[in-house]
Amino acid sequence: MTLLKITDLSAGYGPLRVLHEINLTVERGERLAIVGLNGHGKTTLFRAITHLVGWQRGSILFDGVEIGGQRSLGEGRKTPGIVRLGVAMTPQGDAIFPGLTVRQHLDCGAWSKQAWRERAKRREAIFDLFPPLRKLENTTVGTLSGGERRMVSVGRALMTEARLYLIDEPSLGLAPVISQRVIAALREIDVKDGAIIIAEQNVTLLDGQVDRMIGMHAGRLRGDVGHVELG
Amino acid sequence: MDAALIVYALNLSAIYALMAIGISLLWSSIGMLNMAHGATFAVAGYGTLVLGNALLPLVEAVFDGWAILPLLKMTVLLLSGVTVGALFGGLIYLLGFLPIHDKANFPVRGMIVTLAINLATVQALLWWFGPRQQALPNVFGFGRLNLFGIPLRYDQAMTIGATVVLLGVVLAWLRLSRKGLEIRAMMQNAEGAALSGISVRRTALPVVAVTGAMAGAAAVLLSQTVYVSPGAGAMPLIKGMIIALLGGLGSVPGAAIAALLVGTLEAVTGAIPFLGQRMVLVVQFGFIITVLIIRPRGIGGLLSETRK
Repeated sequence: MTLLKITDLSAGYGPLRVLHEINLTVERGERLAIVGLNGHGKTTLFRAITHLVGWQRGSILFDGVEIGGQRSLGEGRKTPGIVRLGVAMTPQGDAIFPGLTVRQHLDCGAWSKQAWRERAKRREAIFDLFPPLRKLENTTVGTLSGGERRMVSVGRALMTEARLYLIDEPSLGLAPVISQRVIAALREIDVKDGAIIIAEQNVTLLDGQVDRMIGMHAGRLRGDVGHVELG
Repeated sequence: MDAALIVYALNLSAIYALMAIGISLLWSSIGMLNMAHGATFAVAGYGTLVLGNALLPLVEAVFDGWAILPLLKMTVLLLSGVTVGALFGGLIYLLGFLPIHDKANFPVRGMIVTLAINLATVQALLWWFGPRQQALPNVFGFGRLNLFGIPLRYDQAMTIGATVVLLGVVLAWLRLSRKGLEIRAMMQNAEGAALSGISVRRTALPVVAVTGAMAGAAAVLLSQTVYVSPGAGAMPLIKGMIIALLGGLGSVPGAAIAALLVGTLEAVTGAIPFLGQRMVLVVQFGFIITVLIIRPRGIGGLLSETRK
């Protein structure tokens, strides 16, 4: 069963075109990684799915609902709606709220009625996933380290169950030990009938953690590598 | 500095804080520099005038002879000011936010549209009510009460008290409610908020209404001493805006401290013989420019210990 079907997606910022007619199909239950160098469009692909780029065209079918289309204005306008359809994204740079505490961050992520009602229970689940956050519960996130911020950002995306998780560069700017811990936590996520897509530069980190790898180069998807066993 | 001067300074600070915190909140949460905040002030003044003239005789008839009658009358006036302010805020939302908030360069467009709303409203008020200044029903008379030896005019006591209560309610709402959490999230990172399913369009309406209500309250409180006129909003708008800047746009405690500083500065400057009232604006702007040169993030920048 197809969860996400992207057809001929182009996107960019102003005159700059970053993505060139991307085609991608993601099945339910899949753990997918998009790998490629800096500046080749991984982040832009995620941002196009959530309508955060300047302009885009092409179809994005999410669970049978069209969330793509052609537009040249209004970035971010449809983002809350797309999130509420069940797309959870951890953006590059984490997009944290510097003045809010860890606990308030997690509460922000609990947007659905049910998640808000059981937010205490769900916070506990996040703390089980990222034990270092437990004792930081009432600390302002602006004072945390990069690794802790990444955990907060991922935790916020996990507070309400989504059908599609987009995790942008989980290892960016982190010490190797901590990025391994983050990747291991991503492995713990129960995607059920959903899917998870990880954009990453560090291929060795993903070793054995994903079902499928797709390379990205110069705004195009190159080669479906399939399951990879590295060194 | 004698006690009366302190009271005067607090009185000014209270009005300024109501205006500045509204402007600051609007800017940092929905990115709109609301030039129509002065219009909200004037409209709320006239709205209170109309509503007050209609309602006060009723209140007087029902509660005749009660000791708390002046307090009841003040409450009626404040409630009408707050309501009219919030409604006018809703109008600004419909005209100046909803149609353009997702277009390119919204901050500039929003400023132009709200400035247009401001000018049109002032002209409409001139046309409907005429240029004559009108006095709001004076509820307290000119009596004084003595608080620990400090002579306090009733309207001053009311202004300071009502502002503290109102700001307390707004801050508690921001801090404790779910909507407040969403608003603060939006203030600190719009993209992160969007990715948490928080819609700007849905969150903006309560923000605009609440800040409008604050301007309305400021209008009612100030018109106990100053007349209501179509252009009455200009000065509170300008002062509110510079205080919001001084506080570091977006920081509520920063704006409150800045309002205290500027209010005190105004009271003190007015009392110094060789400066006097006519130098108030010069001294104020000089002070604010100096602070912003030294600390570009304003007072809020001194308060926050987080890095962006």
